[in-house]
Amino acid sequence: MSNKGFLMLSQNSETDYVMQACLCAMSIHASNKEAKVSLVTNDKVPKKYKSLFDNIIPIPWTEEKNSENSLASANRWKLYHATPYEETIVLDTDMLVLQDLSSWWTFLKNYEMYFVSNVQTYRGKQVVDHYYRKAFKANQLPNLYVGFHYFKKCDFAHEFYKWMELVVNNWELFYGKYVSEHYPKSCTMDVTAALVAKILNCEDKITNSLVKYPTFTHMKPYIQGWNHPSASWQSRVGTYLTQDLKLTIGNHLQQGIFHYTENDFVNDDILSRYENYLGVLDG
Amino acid sequence: MSKGVLVYARNNSQVDYIKQAYYLALQIKKYMDLPTTVATDSVDYLKTAFPDYENVFDHIIELDWTTNYTHKRYQDGTLSGRQLEFKNDSRTLSYDLTPYEETLLLDTDYIVVNDVLVKAFEQNQDFLIYKTGYDLANFRDYSEFDYISDTSVDFYWATCVFFRKTETNKIFFDLLQHIQENWPHYNSIFQINSSVYRNDHAFSIAIHIMNGYQQGDFAGKMPGKLFYTTDRDIVVDVDDKSFLILVEKENYLGEYTPIRFKDHNLHIMNKFSLNRMIDKELANE
Repeated sequence: MSNKGFLMLSQNSETDYVMQACLCAMSIHASNKEAKVSLVTNDKVPKKYKSLFDNIIPIPWTEEKNSENSLASANRWKLYHATPYEETIVLDTDMLVLQDLSSWWTFLKNYEMYFVSNVQTYRGKQVVDHYYRKAFKANQLPNLYVGFHYFKKCDFAHEFYKWMELVVNNWELFYGKYVSEHYPKSCTMDVTAALVAKILNCEDKITNSLVKYPTFTHMKPYIQGWNHPSASWQSRVGTYLTQDLKLTIGNHLQQGIFHYTENDFVNDDILSRYENYLGVLDG
Repeated sequence: MSKGVLVYARNNSQVDYIKQAYYLALQIKKYMDLPTTVATDSVDYLKTAFPDYENVFDHIIELDWTTNYTHKRYQDGTLSGRQLEFKNDSRTLSYDLTPYEETLLLDTDYIVVNDVLVKAFEQNQDFLIYKTGYDLANFRDYSEFDYISDTSVDFYWATCVFFRKTETNKIFFDLLQHIQENWPHYNSIFQINSSVYRNDHAFSIAIHIMNGYQQGDFAGKMPGKLFYTTDRDIVVDVDDKSFLILVEKENYLGEYTPIRFKDHNLHIMNKFSLNRMIDKELANE
């Protein structure tokens, strides 16, 4: 088993999540030269991008074909079982890694599992989310973000993921009991992980709200500190990606991990800029 | 190392900034024991109106008279206001103009009643500025003082700035001049959406650039807190260190709440009431 690496899950629907995963993998390789990246998917990965991944792993067991909303979350608990690494950082596919994360790996070694609990705006300010996270506050759930999390292969992480499986497969029951205020319309992994953390009473063991990093920049438009948000952040601020992959959003240079959240962020210009930088060739 | 205060005073048709500078220099001498240099385009008026100017000002720097100014609305409380000339394009020259190695740059409408700003000269950071201001009315929309626009960069107050003559600060002030000279461009790409040039905005943009277009530590925090009252309030008088201010009432246009504000420096944006207050003070001396 490899030592440590990044892992993503993609299941194509109307959105090409595999393409997002390929872009994310390119961003990891551009900023983390020795990084290992694996993708869990049952979809076809374009030939020219296959070399970005050390492993392309089929989704274990049966792929759940549930509704569109639950499709993504139904299989996320399987990542613990699918990972080829002793230490894994799980990323959402709609993310870009913009810096070397060696120091983050060092920090994460102190934990068996770690979830980000503080995220940032594109201006580098800590997000105070009264818009998307009403259920967390109302039900006193830990403010966890699954979009970036870490685990070691260990009994604790195994137990945590087993609980995630249980909750995902019985989410109406669990949410009805623990998330009755602002009851979510569908199963989400953030709520599920927070709920499991509450059940296991392990928040202090899996996150640290006092540290600034690890974190990610979360681009949902209603948490950017704007007085006049709009449905799409891309309609408010410009995106500029230089030839050497410096990403600026609305005059703010981005660093760390950038969670763009809007699927149309991925376009040919951005893909080709990364491809040119890494020398990814059509094959 | 030489140290002192630099202020700019360029009168328009109705606001006597030179009188404000004169009064501020007296306050600075009284509370901070520092010399004050005034940069003005009306030296003759200054000398005529304030014959003891040599006792009050350390240096007088003559600025060229230009007609290169913008206009903005000056309120005098909630019910009265006038559109007047706004001559604010000299501040970016401060690095070259100041006669001091260590300079405290103040707006003339920043009234000093204590010595807290002396601490700026006693610390190690070479550039200090306030990022946060505290409005004496606590109901107004402060968002224009959080960011220079809804989607843009952090707001800093050019009202009160400390800098030493260093290579880095030279770059900063050169950058400021560049931003000022190319204001339509920076106004556009920083999404300010206002045609009026503001020093607060230019300083904010320059600090953001000096920080590498991200959060950074180029600018340290000025000592103490920046309290302000907007031009919708009316300053009645100052008794020693205690200001009497009529603060506009929320939802009651034309009505005010009287408050006393004591021992802290105060940025008074209502220039008309400030000048009335100064007239009273100078008459009492």
